[in-house]
Amino acid sequence: MFDGGRQLLTASRRRPARTRALSRRQECGGGGLQRELPHLGRKKQLDDTKERSGRWLASTPKGNPANGLLLLLSCVSFLKADQHFFLKDKQLLDSARSHAQQKMDDIDAMFSDLLGEMDLLTQSLGQEASPLPSSSSADNEQEVNLSVGCTDLNAASLNDLEDNDLDALMADLVADLNATEEKLAAEIQSLKEPQPEHPPPPSGDSSATSALPAPPPQSSKPSMEEIEAQMKADKIKLALEKLKEAKVKKLVVKVRMTDGSSKTLMVDERQKVREVLDNLCEKTHCDCNVDWSLRETNPELQLERTFEDHENLVELLLAWTRDSENQILFLESPDKYEVFKNPQKFYLWKKDKNVLKDMKDKDKEILIKENFCGTSVMVPDLEGVLHLKEDGKKSWKPRLFQLRASGIYYVPKGKTKSSRDLVCFVQFDNVNVYSGKDFRAKHKAPSDFCFVLKHPQIQKDSQYVKYLCCDDARTLNLWLTGIRVAKYGSHLYRNFQTAQKKAALASTWASCTLTSSQNQSQIANGHQNNIITPAPPPPLGGTLPPPPPPIGGSLPPPPPPFGGGLPPPPPPLGGTLPPPPPPLGGGLPPPPPPIGGSLPPPPPPIGGSLPPPPPPLGGGLPPLPPPAAAAPDHGSSRRPPHLPSKRLAKAVPQPRRLAATFPPPPPAAAAENNLPPPPPPPPAVDDSPPDFLPPPPPAANFGSLPPPPPNPKTLPPPPPPFKSMELPPPPPDPGLLAPPLTGAPPPPPPPPPPPQTAASATPRAPIRPCGSVKKMPPPPPKRTTPSLRGGGGGGDGEDGGGDLMSELMRAMQKKRQAH
Amino acid sequence: MPHDITPKCPFQLTFLPSSMAVWDLSITVEDLGPDASPVSLSVTSELHVGGVILKLVEKTPIQRDWSDHALWWEQKQCWLLRTSWTLEKYGIHADARLLFMPQHKPLRLGLPNGVTLRLTACFSNPVFQTVMGICTLLNIRHPEELSLLRPVEEKKKKKEKNSTEEIFDLTAVPLSSASLPSLYNGMPAHFVGSPQLEAIYKMLSVPQPPPAPELLSKQYRPASVVDKAHINGRWLDSSRCLMQQGIQENDRLWLRFKYFAFYDIEPKYDLVRLTQLYEQARWAILLEDIDCTEEEMMLFGALQYHVSKVSQSEAQTMNSAAAMDDLESALQSLEVKMEGESNSASEMLDNMTAPELHDYLKIFRPKRLTLKGYKQHWFKFQDTFISYFKNKEESIGEPIQQINLKGCEVAPDVNMAAQKFLIRLLIPAPEGMNEVYLRCENEEQYARWMAACRLASKGKSLADSSFQSEIRSIRSFLAMQNTSSSSHGNAAAADESINTLSLVSPRYHKKYKTKQLTPRILDAYQNVAQLSLVDAVSRFLQIWQALPDFGLSYVVVRFKGSRKDEVLGIAPNRLIRIDLGVGDVVKTWRYNNMKQWNVNWDIRQVAIEFEGNINIAFSCVTADCKIVHEFIGGYIFLSTRSRDKSDKLNEELFYKLTGGHDAL
Repeated sequence: MFDGGRQLLTASRRRPARTRALSRRQECGGGGLQRELPHLGRKKQLDDTKERSGRWLASTPKGNPANGLLLLLSCVSFLKADQHFFLKDKQLLDSARSHAQQKMDDIDAMFSDLLGEMDLLTQSLGQEASPLPSSSSADNEQEVNLSVGCTDLNAASLNDLEDNDLDALMADLVADLNATEEKLAAEIQSLKEPQPEHPPPPSGDSSATSALPAPPPQSSKPSMEEIEAQMKADKIKLALEKLKEAKVKKLVVKVRMTDGSSKTLMVDERQKVREVLDNLCEKTHCDCNVDWSLRETNPELQLERTFEDHENLVELLLAWTRDSENQILFLESPDKYEVFKNPQKFYLWKKDKNVLKDMKDKDKEILIKENFCGTSVMVPDLEGVLHLKEDGKKSWKPRLFQLRASGIYYVPKGKTKSSRDLVCFVQFDNVNVYSGKDFRAKHKAPSDFCFVLKHPQIQKDSQYVKYLCCDDARTLNLWLTGIRVAKYGSHLYRNFQTAQKKAALASTWASCTLTSSQNQSQIANGHQNNIITPAPPPPLGGTLPPPPPPIGGSLPPPPPPFGGGLPPPPPPLGGTLPPPPPPLGGGLPPPPPPIGGSLPPPPPPIGGSLPPPPPPLGGGLPPLPPPAAAAPDHGSSRRPPHLPSKRLAKAVPQPRRLAATFPPPPPAAAAENNLPPPPPPPPAVDDSPPDFLPPPPPAANFGSLPPPPPNPKTLPPPPPPFKSMELPPPPPDPGLLAPPLTGAPPPPPPPPPPPQTAASATPRAPIRPCGSVKKMPPPPPKRTTPSLRGGGGGGDGEDGGGDLMSELMRAMQKKRQAH
Repeated sequence: MPHDITPKCPFQLTFLPSSMAVWDLSITVEDLGPDASPVSLSVTSELHVGGVILKLVEKTPIQRDWSDHALWWEQKQCWLLRTSWTLEKYGIHADARLLFMPQHKPLRLGLPNGVTLRLTACFSNPVFQTVMGICTLLNIRHPEELSLLRPVEEKKKKKEKNSTEEIFDLTAVPLSSASLPSLYNGMPAHFVGSPQLEAIYKMLSVPQPPPAPELLSKQYRPASVVDKAHINGRWLDSSRCLMQQGIQENDRLWLRFKYFAFYDIEPKYDLVRLTQLYEQARWAILLEDIDCTEEEMMLFGALQYHVSKVSQSEAQTMNSAAAMDDLESALQSLEVKMEGESNSASEMLDNMTAPELHDYLKIFRPKRLTLKGYKQHWFKFQDTFISYFKNKEESIGEPIQQINLKGCEVAPDVNMAAQKFLIRLLIPAPEGMNEVYLRCENEEQYARWMAACRLASKGKSLADSSFQSEIRSIRSFLAMQNTSSSSHGNAAAADESINTLSLVSPRYHKKYKTKQLTPRILDAYQNVAQLSLVDAVSRFLQIWQALPDFGLSYVVVRFKGSRKDEVLGIAPNRLIRIDLGVGDVVKTWRYNNMKQWNVNWDIRQVAIEFEGNINIAFSCVTADCKIVHEFIGGYIFLSTRSRDKSDKLNEELFYKLTGGHDAL
């Protein structure tokens, strides 16, 4: 087993040299120090790291701050990992101290290695970076509007940050360290008086929680060995799961809109273009008609290609070079599915155009059925003279080309058109079709209606790029579409059908679609969060399910309520979300009055330690529903923990000045006040954010997040289910949670066409804090309102949010009437 | 003739109404043998056919089950199947020559796969129903897509051969009237029980091995569209019975898919249908009945190779464990497997640590204009990456280079005789494609590395389950090349492998030698090697259906007002007009624009009216206009099939659409 683990490690250790060095260090830290005097060792190491990171920073050349940042990041994750080990040690002590631990240690070492490794890997995840001109030639760094972070690729490209930023970051980091140290100290204290009966208080810290589930000390009584074995297995499983998760590649992608603005979003390896489009549609509030598409542009070759919905975005983007100027546009592209809207244009292209124009719908349907619904997809029988730019030459020569399902062929000189004489020009397995722009100027083409066939990985001019030129736009379109049909076959039609469904849904049940698709996206987000999180909570998921029931009293929030609260999600959902805001937001007009009532319990104490997230929530709540609408139910429950993490990942590169100002969790109000003017309201994840800050300083994340033990006690027995739901910040792993949750959301809200927010939102927009928060706030308004309506508007929220509420109501009523 | 019966006449007369005139009717009973004289009955015109049969049976000395027998009126070429009709109503007089014989008789049926089957078919019902009966027997769904045609006469020379031809006899199997037999053990119930019958079913449902290249080149191949048109003159008329079309007992007919609109193919139920369809398509391609490009031919060849290989191996496993198609047991085993997998975490670990390949190989980069030849390095294959080091000792450090094979093109360059095992890699890079050759020492090494490269090019790692099978298929292909290029004396080995010449049409026999052909097929093969039997067959059919000329049945016609022959192509959704001079499609008419079509049976002319006042009319040269009429009507009939209720065929509609004037 141990060997296996090592192997794994080595397998996954492909990344920039410097990171590797760090990870090695970490390995020793994780494995070697564990034995003797773990705490002291840790502590020393911590200091060490601090120092070193300081030095790193100092020694980082100014022109190349990214590297330094990267290192910092690594340090941070290192710390986190340490923290994590720490907890684990504690458990070990608690549960199995008397045992010969040889084996255990091995496993543990391996496990922690893995975890550490994971953290590092995930840490290196992409950071947003805008295409700044100063392309510093640092080998390790790239300024691309696209950055890649994953196991295989070396990490992140970072924004060029200013020195200030670095300073701030440094300060931040120190704060983090301090906090961590404090925490460590506290924990050491608690260790000294081991109380097996009371498992480590459920700390809010996600990493801490990760350790929580496994060890139920009491239960260890029955038969230590069995349990240990079980634990071992669990851990390995966890590690494996984590590994898998961590292997998932993610990119931060900047997508340009038609208006010139851009949005940034995180795309994970498993996401198809369709999902990304859905996300974007939500974020931009566009009508989700089938024409929306992502288009890749390659300025170097002057090419464009619309991505197909079934393609894997990350895979496509990985073909770009580091310094690529390629871009992704989000735009309506009528050509994308024209073949299904007007099949006659392609399948009967030889016919008279007038006849084609007023083709009956019925006939179109027949055409589609004939060509796409049979056992095999029929390719339009294109044939015609195209000009071909000969390999590597400048001249264009006309040839008679023919499109067949198996490829493009041409008729050799002096031969007939008979199939057997055709010469294969290209087959589609390894090439994509692109349309060329302005080739008359660039390549002296006979016309500007050119297309190109090339392997997606080829990014520069070469003899392997095949250039073809058509006489007119119509012919070009015929060929482009024909080739796509030949290449993608039935995929294309399925894509269209899905797109159509989405569009239909969007138009009729705007709100419904929003929720459901957002749920999806949210899940995705959840994953990402996990992964990005330095101290990843995912393990939780693995172990949580079989959480020790006995603990009951001391282990208050998480499991039981969860189970209870989850199933009947709909109503609570609406309710759940809002809660956080009321207490925290204080003056904020919390839309959800009813809930507000039941919620009170959790407020202040928790607010302090736990919830950086909530405050922003309160602030952001009213205004926007953007991505967040997603945030629904579970959102509330599992959000808190992730939020910070996510922010961490994303925001890290960006300065955390704020954090520095108030290392501990900023009181809600403070946060609001300090918040820089929020960005343009709706954009979900604007990429502009560099200037403004995530209110909840990451510091909180590290140091203060773990809600101290007292919390639970203070908490009145969980009143309504939902209350508990959102309470447990250290909830189970989203991954696990996700499925059930997703199931839940869709059913709930009927068609509460949310107030289009526009009206109500705008005024409040300013309060809205930052990118990460965005995710959270929106949903509440939407969800809440309906429930409000049903449950009676009365509540504390009324006074504060009266106008908002009424506005919402009005909007809703209008909507309903419209329907 | 009917003299011998006269003595009985007075006796009978007493029973008949005096007003009725009694006359003699002579009937030949087939069962009495060809030489026996006809049986004479004295009847009145009022007697109904049933009565005649009853009398006849009483008078015939043989005792047997007569229930299948009926009267055939030779002059009028029709069956007297309505037993309640009187002789007068049928218009039968004493001069009528009537034959008393069974309605079902044995027929020799050539299947699409080239095998001849002897089975009992109905000679009295319209061919449409006869085909339905045959398809039920053979377990082919959607019989409306098939029909019978007269075979192409074989040359007299081969007569001896014909006699030795193996005929599978199915006459013992009763024709059931049930729509489709229930399956038992994956076989229709009527095949179960006897080993012979089971063998026949296997023949029906498993693709035949590729034909010998010699046989292939001897077969008739149409050289032009006109040649292709001739076969369509042979279709039988679906609305008339076999007897009416001059088919006699034990005659030879072909069963073929006639309409190329295959509805609702479901491999679970359509094993025979799929197989026969595949065979028909395969022969169409091998005999150049349908044109395709060289690349397509290589792919077809590769698929054929794969199909025959898989079907051979599957046939073996089927014998050993027939029960495995039982869904439940399959599920169970799956469960067990999954449990086993998830059980131990260490196993999971093992699974996740990808295997690697290490070896000394020689590398060569043709693009770099160096004089250096192949250089030996220590190679490591991991995930989808190849990395190489100076030597084994340095393999812990940084590799000299690491190459990601994902998305690359892999081509073999192997010469067994010269012991050359080259893997040509074309690796995409932003600047273009980089060419890299890897040279292996031996077959074994080559198979492993080649398999790894192939998987990697598709983004799969060595851990992929297909790795081993990929290795096997590469080896078997190597072996193939080995035997075909080396001595012919090694008969045993040659039997096992497949001659690539038998996978492509004879045209390529001249163009390429086996040595050249094999790598090309192997090249195409790598894309299909992972397919299951059914998938491979389906893929073959898909590619076949995607050919531009697919589904066209040609008939030479003469358009009204035109002086030269032209070709009408009838496709599932359209008619095309082909100019024989140019060989090009000059006009296309789609059925959904068709308003009506008529046949003038007197002048044998088909007239069609399309929307937009387009009228065409033509007479048929190579086929009867009834055949053209039936093709068009048949396709329109097929397009009316709908998913909601397709079990019951609307026969009436079919006759209405395809029948001639006499059918209405």
